[in-house]
Amino acid sequence: MTIRLTINGQIRTYDGDPRDSLLDALRRTYRLTGAKDVCREGFCGACTVHIDGQAVPSCLRPMGLLEGADVTTIEGISSPEGFSPVQAAFVEHDVVQCGMCFPGMVMSMTDFLKRNPSPSRAEVKTAMAGNLCRCTGYEKIVDAVMSVQADERANR
Amino acid sequence: MTQKLEPSGAVMDYPRRDAGDKVRGRTKYTVDQAGSDTLHAVLVRSDVAAGRIAALQVDAALAMPGVRAIATGEDAPDRHGLGIADHPIFASTDIRYHGEPILAIAADTLDQAKAAAAKVVLRIDPVEPVLTMAEALQAGARLIHPDWKDYEILFSGAARGGNIAWTATVERGDTDAAFARDDVTIVEGCYRVGRQNHVSFEPRAVVASFEDGRYHIVTSTQAPWTVKNVTAMALGISPSQVRVTVPPVGGGFGLKFDCSLEPYAAILARKTGQKVSLINSREEEMLTCLSRENAEIRLRSAVTPEGEIAAREGTVLMDCGAYGGEQVFLTTMTAHTLGGNYRLGATKIASHAVYTNTAPNGAFRACNGVYNTFALERHTDEICAAIGMDPMEFRKRNVVGDGSLGATGQVFQGDVLKPMLERMERLIGADPQPEIDPDRYLYGQATTVGTWFIFVGPSAASVILNADGSATLVTSGVEIGSGTMMQSLPQMVAAELGIHPDKVIVKTADTDASGRDLGVGGGRTTVSIGAASTAACAEVRQKLLSVASEMLQTPVSKLVLGNGRIEIAGRAGSGMTIQTVIAEAEVRHGPISGSGAFTAPGTPSMPGCAAGHFIDAIDIPVFAVHNCDIAIEKATGRISVLNYRVVQDVGRAINPRAIKSQVQGGVVQGLGYALHEEMTINGDGCIDQSGFETYKIPGVGDAIPITLEMFEGAPSIGPLGTKGAGEVPILNVGATIACAVANATGKQVNELPLVPPRVLDIIENETSGLDLVHIHSDWRRNV
Repeated sequence: MTIRLTINGQIRTYDGDPRDSLLDALRRTYRLTGAKDVCREGFCGACTVHIDGQAVPSCLRPMGLLEGADVTTIEGISSPEGFSPVQAAFVEHDVVQCGMCFPGMVMSMTDFLKRNPSPSRAEVKTAMAGNLCRCTGYEKIVDAVMSVQADERANR
Repeated sequence: MTQKLEPSGAVMDYPRRDAGDKVRGRTKYTVDQAGSDTLHAVLVRSDVAAGRIAALQVDAALAMPGVRAIATGEDAPDRHGLGIADHPIFASTDIRYHGEPILAIAADTLDQAKAAAAKVVLRIDPVEPVLTMAEALQAGARLIHPDWKDYEILFSGAARGGNIAWTATVERGDTDAAFARDDVTIVEGCYRVGRQNHVSFEPRAVVASFEDGRYHIVTSTQAPWTVKNVTAMALGISPSQVRVTVPPVGGGFGLKFDCSLEPYAAILARKTGQKVSLINSREEEMLTCLSRENAEIRLRSAVTPEGEIAAREGTVLMDCGAYGGEQVFLTTMTAHTLGGNYRLGATKIASHAVYTNTAPNGAFRACNGVYNTFALERHTDEICAAIGMDPMEFRKRNVVGDGSLGATGQVFQGDVLKPMLERMERLIGADPQPEIDPDRYLYGQATTVGTWFIFVGPSAASVILNADGSATLVTSGVEIGSGTMMQSLPQMVAAELGIHPDKVIVKTADTDASGRDLGVGGGRTTVSIGAASTAACAEVRQKLLSVASEMLQTPVSKLVLGNGRIEIAGRAGSGMTIQTVIAEAEVRHGPISGSGAFTAPGTPSMPGCAAGHFIDAIDIPVFAVHNCDIAIEKATGRISVLNYRVVQDVGRAINPRAIKSQVQGGVVQGLGYALHEEMTINGDGCIDQSGFETYKIPGVGDAIPITLEMFEGAPSIGPLGTKGAGEVPILNVGATIACAVANATGKQVNELPLVPPRVLDIIENETSGLDLVHIHSDWRRNV
């Protein structure tokens, strides 16, 4: 059965096994390798994408459930030349190390800030609970997320 | 002579240039390389810990759809190793650990390779595995390597035998006489730690091809030259037949300091004539990770009432797993991590790498140092309790300083640890005492010291000056995430050449383009590759300035290089741009480039003290002082870290912001080791923790902001006085948390990690501490 879905604004079809995870389809079939294959259990958040506007780990979503879904991956979150506000904050605060967790961090924090544009530090930490990082010790990532809302408050 | 470079020219919070692509998901790590033109491989691994292969038939697997080749032990008969060549690429007769590779299959797709793996006919006659060091050292224990005497020795001078892969010893002075003194208190303790998995988010991965009769290996490694040499050794070919290139590495932490998957992919690439990708699944990474080794330690000290350590004896057992690997080398470290912190009288230390039927272990950030620091600092606090001395006072009296002897008799330079302890006292004093509810929580605090050292060893660099005034730096360095290749190296090269770091192009490792290098690890990149790079820059400067000298009719000594211009000293606006001089140099002599090299300068030890060591004395010691406040919930044993403070000897901070990031990340990784990263091995010899659900790495909720004070100015032979800063932040964390738990509970704390059930046990039960009976109290019986 062919599955039709939208990925980063383009209609795509999928003819593979409907049990394949969205993560594998993105990486193997569409060669969108920004979503990272790290734990495959939904614990690390490195494969997070937006499905119909909500951040979810793509390793846990079988393709068969995505007929008609609107998927945005890290490759589609900003214009090719520019950064989204979250990406810009991560670059500005020099928080990146190995970088494997950051595509997922960007997707989770983007969705979170859309829902809660002025969070407390504790709320940011709660929202980041599903995104693990082995390098940074987190605090500077939290600082960067807090700066996004501070900048946006300043702009209001 | 031209003016000497001032460090301040290189110091800045220069941002990393790879962040943009990393946050956009564009960075192509090794795991992202394999497209539709690449075959996919899997390894068939043993599912028993010990045995003999009774039958192996691959015909049915080879006939499966999409299968292109199968490789077995016949394709790679030679052994490799560090110190001793004890490790075959494939098990072909004896199985020595659960997960040991037996064959490799390449197919058009990963699913086809997996389907073929299920068709391999494999029968193993199991034998009872030897799973613990205590079992391995028992009289009459089955030998894991019955042919150990026949193995090729790659580094001579160590005692070995039976299930002991390697022994390193230190003997300085007469400990017996010191222990017999009637004015000393004798303190003895045993300590035990489990393994730690790196959980680098990019697993070990490789894409290999066979082109024009040579292997090209694209791999996620910290040590491209090790991969090149070991792959050649395993395949029985010359290293010149192997080229290694390295994309950005998605985390290493020491895991990728050794060759691992590369030979399998290389063999399959030759057999198929196609590119072959081999990537460990997360489960394979968890079960066969070259973990930080589990270790067992006994320490015994004779201390005077004034706190002088008259004698110390120590024995450290390091589980190397089924093959010697890095642990053979790491036995060397004990002399320095256990014996390089305090001034010691007579000293005897033994470090054994012990074979067991478990997955081989490897290197992990501050390898060997973290558990020796834990044992030593717990032992130090036990000494303080025994002689009634304040732990801070004891440390200030006893830490090594200018002229102190290390364990192997090397002479330390400069007073570093004592002033660092005094800085820490001021840091602690600046914060209010934490307020906690004493009915619910126990409060504890501790301060510890740690000694690490920078791995020096060979590095090479070339610097090419381009016509547009930029420079290209070519080394075998790898960007593993720490940022050294993105920050400190371009900063140093830029400062040497008077240009902006943005104008320094940093080429990633390609063993066809750059000279030999020991690898990115041990905190050595800034120091060793940095020194080679600055040496290459010196040649470039000399060539550039000699041409400018002729053009400006001014002696070289009066020329100043800066802001992309060469000017006459004291005459701003004189001179010309670098591009103008480069153009003239091309006309006169051709393009400008320079090369540089660096290696261990060699620091003397006391002759006859150390045996079986790869490094007898350390060239660049690095010191750390850590402190924490904790609260232990009495009902659950759960530990909350309230404050964590670090004073770290950084030599010279070239990029202070990047160092802060390394300290924040390293300490949190250490909190995982101290508190909840637990690995256990079941009766079948299999590691129980197969994924993220069962092996808990720190999450954001486990992190707190680390207070850091950088200690600058300690002696260092590193370029601009630098020392590596990324390795050492994890060094004292286990020690500091454990000492704080002992402080809070008034009990002995002898094991890590301090998971809540273990802490509850400490709180609720009277314990006389840990006694490891297989390590003798009489040191001589351990060697």
